[in-house]
Order: sequence, then structure tokens, then C-alpha cells
Amino acid sequence: MVKRKCFKRIIPIILVMVSLLMLTGCWNSRELDELGIAVATGIDKNEEGEFIIIVQVINPSEIATDAPTTRPPVSSYTITGKSMFEAFRKLTTKSPRKIYFSQMRLVVIGERLAEEGLMPALDFLYRDHEFRTSFYIALAKGESVEKMLSVITPYEKIPANKIMNSIKASEEAWASSKGTTIDKVLSALRSPGENPVIGGIELIGADYPLGDNKMNVEHVDAPTKVELDHLAAFKEDRLAGWLTEDQSRGLNFATGDVKSTILQIPCKEKGTIGIEIIRTKAGMTGKTNGTSPPKLEISVETEANIGEVACDMDLSNPDTIDYLNKETEKEIKKLIESAVTVAKEDFESDIFGAGNVFHRDEPRYWKKVEKDWNKHFKEMDCEIKVQADIRRKGNTTQPIDKKG
Amino acid sequence: MDNQTISPRQFMFLVIFFTIGSSILIVPGPVTEQAKQDSWMSILLSILIGVAIIILYNKIGELSAGKTFIEAFNDVFGNWVGRLFSSFYLVFVYILAALVLRNIGDFMTSQIMPATPLQFTHILFFVVVLGGTFLGIEVIGRSSEIFMPWMILLLLFLFLFSSPQISMDNFKPILGDGVSPMLSASKVMISSPILEMVALLMIFPYVKELKQTKKGWIIGSVIGGSVLLGITSLCILVLGSDLTIMNTYPTYRIGEKISVAGFLEGLEIFIAIIWMMTIFFKLIVLYYASTVGFAQFLSLDDYRPLVLPLGMGTIILSIISYPDVAYFESFVGEIWFSYALSIGFILPLILLAGLLIKKKIKQKGA
Repeated sequence: MVKRKCFKRIIPIILVMVSLLMLTGCWNSRELDELGIAVATGIDKNEEGEFIIIVQVINPSEIATDAPTTRPPVSSYTITGKSMFEAFRKLTTKSPRKIYFSQMRLVVIGERLAEEGLMPALDFLYRDHEFRTSFYIALAKGESVEKMLSVITPYEKIPANKIMNSIKASEEAWASSKGTTIDKVLSALRSPGENPVIGGIELIGADYPLGDNKMNVEHVDAPTKVELDHLAAFKEDRLAGWLTEDQSRGLNFATGDVKSTILQIPCKEKGTIGIEIIRTKAGMTGKTNGTSPPKLEISVETEANIGEVACDMDLSNPDTIDYLNKETEKEIKKLIESAVTVAKEDFESDIFGAGNVFHRDEPRYWKKVEKDWNKHFKEMDCEIKVQADIRRKGNTTQPIDKKG
Repeated sequence: MDNQTISPRQFMFLVIFFTIGSSILIVPGPVTEQAKQDSWMSILLSILIGVAIIILYNKIGELSAGKTFIEAFNDVFGNWVGRLFSSFYLVFVYILAALVLRNIGDFMTSQIMPATPLQFTHILFFVVVLGGTFLGIEVIGRSSEIFMPWMILLLLFLFLFSSPQISMDNFKPILGDGVSPMLSASKVMISSPILEMVALLMIFPYVKELKQTKKGWIIGSVIGGSVLLGITSLCILVLGSDLTIMNTYPTYRIGEKISVAGFLEGLEIFIAIIWMMTIFFKLIVLYYASTVGFAQFLSLDDYRPLVLPLGMGTIILSIISYPDVAYFESFVGEIWFSYALSIGFILPLILLAGLLIKKKIKQKGA
């Protein structure tokens, strides 16, 4: 009996011991001081067709302290490899720490890779378990990815954060670009009725030799800067061309991605009025009506304020507001039309997702054209309906030079 | 076997866990692959068919009068024929337990702990299951009551925080490819978990109050089915049918996409917790059913001596059951339905026929 009691007491102790052994941590635990935390990754191809990977890692001692040293806040490592995965693993030969990708904010893709096809790069980024899907994808315009990711940026210590924040801010206030995440690109790629667009970034002052040096940010106006550019249109996974600023905004209007932007409307005589778009709602519907070609209807409803008046107009007159509404509608229509035209004629690529609209609204018609949608897209008619409502005119009731 | 009993409410909770467990990993992808954006309708259909199947199970449970599935077989068909039938059933439940264990192991190794060997994940997870089985059905029932609020909380959390990313257009076109893909896709959920619920017939006699139990089984499976419906719809609405098909674990991707006010991010592990909890209960029910069933098959007085040796077998079976993920996908897609149908539907039908005939004979004799 005594023996049994003893035994009963020993068993829990053994269990606790065993659990202690098992529960100390994961099999391959990695401590924070053994990791290099990547914030941005650049992917491109070189002339030999190998992948070039540029990884920007933060220097924690630089970011976290109050007494900065002379070392830069981020370092970047460049490596080439026959495949993405190989290159990523070969990074360990250059970096002192294993690179950790879960906190990555941005992937910059080079133009050469974009021309050859994004698929291999995207597949790896989506398949590997260490990447979260919340990072943005941007396309480097005109300059090598390597250079873009080695610029030290003013104001934001981490360049990747600077680019990400610029994308977010301009998406909300100007709408000429768009933050694209990997799943948006992939779902556009996978669906036969849509082609992806990706926002571009551009390097200003690439000639300045010290862009990758802290010297760069010791100027009031940093000589080398990374700026946002407009959208790049893809056909399948290959770069088809760049949209202009107006076309980008037109596309964003049509897809309902405009949160706010500014439009310049001509006054009746001379000068312009700046209209601030504060809210938009957009929808697309597809109609076949038995007639060919099919018709895509884009309808945009928008609410706006008068933001800036540089001419002589009587703003207290409802007719003026009516006139401005009409002009705003015309302007938005013009933007969308330019985007539709360039998509249909120059890129031959359905960046609007019109195919998906037809799939949704006219599934029977879609079945017939699904296989060669790009051809049908070119012939598609497009009707654009815009309704603008200007509601307020800011703090002043009239133009300030109006005598009244 | 034991004199342990559980309440109808605990039974209902076990049914809910059983329905969600592992199916939450397996169902959304394949159903969407066949039915595209109409997969929610397939699942709705499966729930309806499921209710009919559970009414059948309930009838068997009622007619067996306090006997488990295996005891009832022996009782009706005699020692030899009964044992032949019940051996099919036992193998099914035992293999299913190993497959469910492998599901969670595959998930852990591919998403959370890639360098940990599969065996260790399996052993660690299964040790808890063995402990629970050893302690008996009462403990299992009570722990289901403890964990249910957590699961509800986490599910609410998931639905609430991913709702801003919902786009209703993803449901369109409704029935764009006609009705037949939608109908055939409902097979997926009927085979897992609905027909797998035949394992619950091993627990059925241990539940008090027959009438409440029957009701609890139906309500539980409808609730569990609705959770699967909700999860699959969420996948389609947030990711779109294309990405739902492409992802091995679409729900996990939704968790990655949750972003509340810019600071509440990267909450995919919450979803992993739901999975582990539900799969734990499914596994423990299956394993309990197979050990108790095996003990009754061998006419043992106590099932406990079997817990450890059978458990070792399960772990090994779970490792060797399939060589790679692609094999498993095709196995689930092509074979599992017919297998589950023969064990989960035809076998119960045979038993039901036997039970009814026996009842008739008895009435005549009396």
C-alpha cells in the first residue's frame, strides 16, 4: 500500500520532468539576436538569366538606440542564384545571421524580371511559409533594383517603411498609384478575366554617388530619393507597359480605388478650379444583349468639395455648381476613357477585370469567350457614367478677389 | 464497459468539435475546387443530407438499447458474422484516427514548425489524446465544455475581424456552371465529417437521456456544419474562389490578412488554435471509439490496457499511411468517399435491418 502511494507521487514528478524537456521551445528555436530581420526584398534577373536577390535588413542597434552611430540603419545583401530559393539560401554566405522574412514590408521587382514573367518569383513568395502575404509589391522603373534598395532615405530611417508609407499616403490622397499585395496580383493572374497592375517606384538623382551613404540625408533636400511612380500594366505575368499619371488615376476611378484626389477643372473664361474628390463609389456591369460586341458599363458616383479657386466665378449661384459638376464628370470620364483606350489598344490587356465582370453578370456569354478573352476585350464597347456632386466649398464663400 | 456517462449537452459539444475538426482543414479547398464560388451551396446541401444520415444513426442508437455499435453487431449477427462486420468498422475508425493525426501533423510541419520532425509533433499531440482516452469518456465530455467557449470566442474573432475584407461580388455568378458541379462537390463534406460520425455510435450508449441525445446529435452537427459553411464562405468572400483553391490552408491565409487599425496583425495563429482544439477532440473521440471497440471486439472487461499499444500503432500508421501530400489529396478526392460510404452508410443499414428483424422476432415470440 505504501509502495503504491509512493509510486503515485513519483509519476507526476516524472511527467513534469518530461514535459519540461518537451516544452522548452520549438525544435529549431531562433532567438532575436541570431536573426537578420528583412524589411524589403528586391528581385530581378541578370543578363545570364540568373535571379538577383537584394535583401534589406535592419541594423537593430541603429534603429533602437537614442545615440546613433555612424552605421547606416539598414544594410543590404545582394546575391545571385539559378532559382529564387537557391539565391535566398545562398544569402547565408554573405549575411552573418539567418534572414527572417516574416516582417517584410515590400518586394521590389526589377523591370527585366517583369518583362520575362513574374510567375517564378511570385510562386516562391506565396509558397514559402515564412513570408506573410501582407507585403506590398512594387516595380522598379528605369533603374536597377539594387540601387533602389540601397538609398538612404530622409525622415524615415528604414527605406522600406518610407516606400510603404508613401504608397499608403498617395493611395489615399492622390490615387495615381495603388498598393498591390501578392494575393491581389495572384488572383488577377490566375483569373482569365483580369490582368494585374503593380505600382511603380522611381529613383530620383541616381547620378549622385553617395545615395547609399548617410551623407545623402545630411542634405536638406536629399539628392537621391525614391519616389512613387504610376501603375504598370501586365499582360499575364509579363510587363505590358506603363500607364501615365492620368491613366493610372482613370483606372483607379473605374475600379473604385480612388479615395481622394484633386481634379483641375477649367473655369468658364480663364483659370482653373481645383476640385477635391472626397468619396467615390464605382461599379462595373457587363451587358451583351445578344449584340456583339459586348458592352462594359462603368459607373462612378463621386462626392467632391471645391478646394481651390483661381478665377472669377460666382460660387453662390447654384448654376455655377451645376456647371462644375458637369465639368468634373467630364474630367473623370476623360481619365477613365484614356485608361480604357490604352488598355485596349496599346497593352491589349484587361487590367480592369472586365472579364470577371462578364463572368459575374453574363456567365453564359463568358463561357464562350473565356478562352480568348484578350481578343474579345479589344473589341469590347465601353460606356462610362459619372455622377459628381459638389457639396461644400471650404472656408470661403467666394473667390477672394470677388467684389461683392 | 465503464459506468461512466456524459450529459447530452457534452455529447452535443463533442459532435460540434467532431464536425469541425480536421474538416476545417480539408473541406474548403476541394469543395471550392469543384464547385467554385457555389461551394457554400454544396455545403448547405451536405448539411441537409447529413441530418438525414444522423437520423439513421439515431435510429440505430435507439434500437441498440444501450449497446455500442460493435456490441450491437455481435448481438444481432452472432459472434462470428458480427465480428466480421465489426472488424471492418474498427479498421475504418482506426485508420481515420491515424489520418486525422497526420492532418494536424502536416499542418504544423508545413506552416508553423517546419524543422520539427513529423514524428515528434505526432507523439506530443497524441500523448495528450492517450491521456484523455485513459481517463475515460466523462473527462472527455467535461473538457469539451471547458474548451467550447474558447472556440466560439476565436471563431467570432475571426469572422469579425476579417469581415472588412469581404467582397460580395466573389459569390457571383451564382450557379454559373450549372447545378452538377455544385451537387457533386457536396460529396466532399458528406464523406468528411458526416459519414465519419458513425464513430460516435461507440459513445452514444454512454450518454444519458436518449431523447435529448438524439436532438443534441442533430443540432450539434448542424451547428458544426454551419461553422464549416461560414468558414468556406469567408474563404471565397475574402480570397475569391481562385485563391481558395490554390491555397493548401485557405483559412490560414485569411488569418494572415487580418489587419485591424494597422496594429492588430498576423493573427493566423489564432486559427491554428481553433484547428488544434477541434482536431484534438475529433481525434480523442475516434481513438476512444477504436480502443473501446477493439476491447469489445476481443470481449475484454477493460479497454485501458489497450490504450498504449494501440496508440503506438496509430502513430506509426499515421506516418506510413501516405507518402506525400499529393497522394493524400487524391486519396481524399477519389477513394475516401466510397470507403466512408460503405462503412458509414451501408454497414449501419445492414445493422439497422438486423435490429428491425430481431425486434420483429422478439415481438412475435412475446
